[in-house]
Amino acid sequence: MIDINRSLHLGHNPAENITIKIVGIGGAGSNALDRIVLDGVENADLVAMNTDVQALTGSVAAEKVQLGREVTRGLGAGGDPELGVAAAEESLEAIRTSLEHASMVFVCVGLGGGTGSGAAPLIAGLAKEQGALVVVFATMPFGFEGKRRRRQADEALEALAREADAVICFENDKMGDAISPKAGIHQAFASADLTISQSVRAIASLFKRPGLIHIGFDDLRVALQNHGAQCVFGFGEAEGDNRANEALTRALKSSLMDRGRMLGDAQSVLVNICGGPEMTLNEVQILMEELGKHISDDAQIRFGSSVDRAMGNRMSVTIISSVAVEVEQVAKPQPAVIPPVALPPRISRVQPKPVAKRQPVVVEPEPVETDEDVEEMEQPAVASPAESFVEAVAEPMEEAHFAEPSAPDSPASEDEAGDDSLFGLDEPKPAAKAPAQVEKPAARPRPPVTRPPRIITQPSPVAAFSAAPKSSQEKQETLQFEPVTRGRFEKSEPTIVDGQDLDVPTFLRRNVRVK
Amino acid sequence: MARANIFVGLEIGTSKICAVVGESRTDGSLRILGVGQVPSRGVRKGEIVDFETATQCVKDAIAEAEDKSDVTVGSVFLAITGSHISSFNNRGSVMIPEDQEEIEDSDLDNVRAAAAEVSIPSQNAFIHSILQHYYVDGQEGVLNPVGMLGRKLDADFHIVHGIRTRIQNAIRCVKELDVEVEDAVFSPLASAQVVLDHHQKNLGALLIDIGGGTTDYIVYVDGAVKQSGTLALGGDHITNDISMGLRLPIARAEKLKVEEGSVILGNCLPGETVVLQDESGFVGKEVERETLNTIIHMRVRETFDLLKRKLQQQDNYLDYLGAGIFITGGCSLLKGIDHLAGEVFELPVHIARAQSMAGVKSAIENPQLAAAIGLIKYAQAIHMDKPRGWISRLKQKLPRFLGLLLFFIS
Repeated sequence: MIDINRSLHLGHNPAENITIKIVGIGGAGSNALDRIVLDGVENADLVAMNTDVQALTGSVAAEKVQLGREVTRGLGAGGDPELGVAAAEESLEAIRTSLEHASMVFVCVGLGGGTGSGAAPLIAGLAKEQGALVVVFATMPFGFEGKRRRRQADEALEALAREADAVICFENDKMGDAISPKAGIHQAFASADLTISQSVRAIASLFKRPGLIHIGFDDLRVALQNHGAQCVFGFGEAEGDNRANEALTRALKSSLMDRGRMLGDAQSVLVNICGGPEMTLNEVQILMEELGKHISDDAQIRFGSSVDRAMGNRMSVTIISSVAVEVEQVAKPQPAVIPPVALPPRISRVQPKPVAKRQPVVVEPEPVETDEDVEEMEQPAVASPAESFVEAVAEPMEEAHFAEPSAPDSPASEDEAGDDSLFGLDEPKPAAKAPAQVEKPAARPRPPVTRPPRIITQPSPVAAFSAAPKSSQEKQETLQFEPVTRGRFEKSEPTIVDGQDLDVPTFLRRNVRVK
Repeated sequence: MARANIFVGLEIGTSKICAVVGESRTDGSLRILGVGQVPSRGVRKGEIVDFETATQCVKDAIAEAEDKSDVTVGSVFLAITGSHISSFNNRGSVMIPEDQEEIEDSDLDNVRAAAAEVSIPSQNAFIHSILQHYYVDGQEGVLNPVGMLGRKLDADFHIVHGIRTRIQNAIRCVKELDVEVEDAVFSPLASAQVVLDHHQKNLGALLIDIGGGTTDYIVYVDGAVKQSGTLALGGDHITNDISMGLRLPIARAEKLKVEEGSVILGNCLPGETVVLQDESGFVGKEVERETLNTIIHMRVRETFDLLKRKLQQQDNYLDYLGAGIFITGGCSLLKGIDHLAGEVFELPVHIARAQSMAGVKSAIENPQLAAAIGLIKYAQAIHMDKPRGWISRLKQKLPRFLGLLLFFIS
């Protein structure tokens, strides 16, 4: 009975059967891993991978994989990514075994060096092959580490973006800002590790904790999808009477937040609030209201909330988002321009191909367009709309590998998984299915020309991911609260005692009619 | 010392900023020379939110006080408040070295330092550590152990701390004006200096200072501070409630609260109304008096309820308040507030203001100024302590010294 397969055993609870592996690659990666162990992470296996045996022995991770036993002979990769790649290639089998059965793989890596930059993309790719969701936490080197390292890091990042489902990128320079100028360099690196550790734990618990309002992997991807040069991440925890406010303040003070200023530009923000059973709606409400002041009105807020007994009377807030480079923000409303813009390496960070997928969606807002217009959009002279449709469907298909059958318990929400399986995951099936759907327009070519795109957007949430954040999901995800009035105290720090906002008139809180 | 000491108390309150200039006579009496008072802007809930505006108001208040008292203000004692301030009791203890016979002054300093060795949040700073009692080898209630024999000296302290940067903001606001801040004093502690007398502190008393943005409280039992704190609730909240409940502009609501407001329910005729006049004297809106009073009543009762719960959480000193409750601050002028407090706390309640003072009568009678006047008394107490300690010690040693001298001469 004890040996029973974990995923079978826990099959009835989708949140429980996610096996998370946290992989630290290279020196920086294993440092981050050590920090994660120190801080404690729930139900995740930690794997350290390094070329340097000495560093590997020093790591506290339970599982260790030495890369390139022959190539580097137990020494480091010496800052040469080529050597890193070679080392990883040599140890392919070992890596594969260590990543078996994982449904989520978090890769922690410091880019710029040899092992990290070289091996990480390969390892991410392997994890992907095994059917896991791959989230990469990458740190970019400090400015003073030199331009060459920076270039190597940029290249590796680009490669990682191709392999992984999501890349969260931390600029060491940015994190250094948060530290007092007097602090030692050691502390600067430690703070980077701390930030990574916090985000790994926050994201892991995002999927692990029982959610009142659950945040799925899809939400995370959208939040990070902005092709942002910069990931915005904030985490704060607090207890006491004013915990909602303090937790938020701390989250906004996080090094990657720039005191919440970064959020102003974000298109899509993921917020998860976690607290003990005593967390009140009012607190959540206050917190979200405060947070709302930092987020632009157009931004989509993906809100999740979970209750965890272990939190006691603490409350934590996790804010994840990404901010686009300015060029892109301009380009965004005109998807036709995007392909050339999106090609430069630094931009396509999360998903290399969503740009292509955007095309079918774009057609939707203009349903009255004539056939000719559509032809213009889909560059290959479209003989019949059916062809373009097949293309469009096949495109998202390639991206859909994160919901492969081997990982049926992926954290992507259930209905989504259902949608994906509707397409089937092997190539021939959708190809067969798609024309069938389009047969109707083919029969009556002229009038319903604009329909195919519409069909595409509906059954395929995968495509919806890449759509501009103003999808129909928006209304479902944000909680609509009854407006609370605090009058002249609107802008001041709220007075909260026992979970009640005392700035709201007493008679309103007690529901006493005064007129 | 022939020259009288001049002290200035400055309170940066939510509704008004006031500077009080007082003179401490050699016989220990105090006299208020002048008061500068301006409506406060840029302060919310006792804390500065708009630095420049607040600085300007402080400047005006000090200038007015200088004008009225004909004194140049060089340094002030500053009252601070805000919800970030919290307090607790802690006991420190030191062992007296074997080779030392009696307890000395330095041991008192050591025990104070020992009591302060507690963890407060890293962003916080100590504001006060107020002595409660000494214990010598377990003997309770020693007031001054210097000169006593003993091996172990303990002392209970009441420690008040708050967020460092917020305290510094208030201090900087004054320093901008080239005025020194001699000491920052937690506002209810200052009020208690003038509102409560020695006797009341010994019997046990609760002082509630309900100001514009905060309600500060301090509990004295057996002459020592046992509990203190701040609720970020005050007169502004009442005004805000009225403004929202009756849909009036804030200024109008404030006027209505001051002129017509009462916390007593069921005391007016059915359908009795208050007629609001606009600036030109025209009859404007009518407001039902009972509605107005209900809004005020609910807020004030809630504040008292909260306070009561807060006081009961810790050792329940409410049972030891022989002298009862003293309410001061601007909101103590609300009609019937003493009755309501009596109802909630089930204790005798007094509306209190500064006592044992001479000088500008209107200032002393005004409970809004209790904290600022209290600062002067606090300053006096500190200054009396210092020179007197030094002189008296000299006086004590002088005869011995002279005796020795005489001995050698002879």
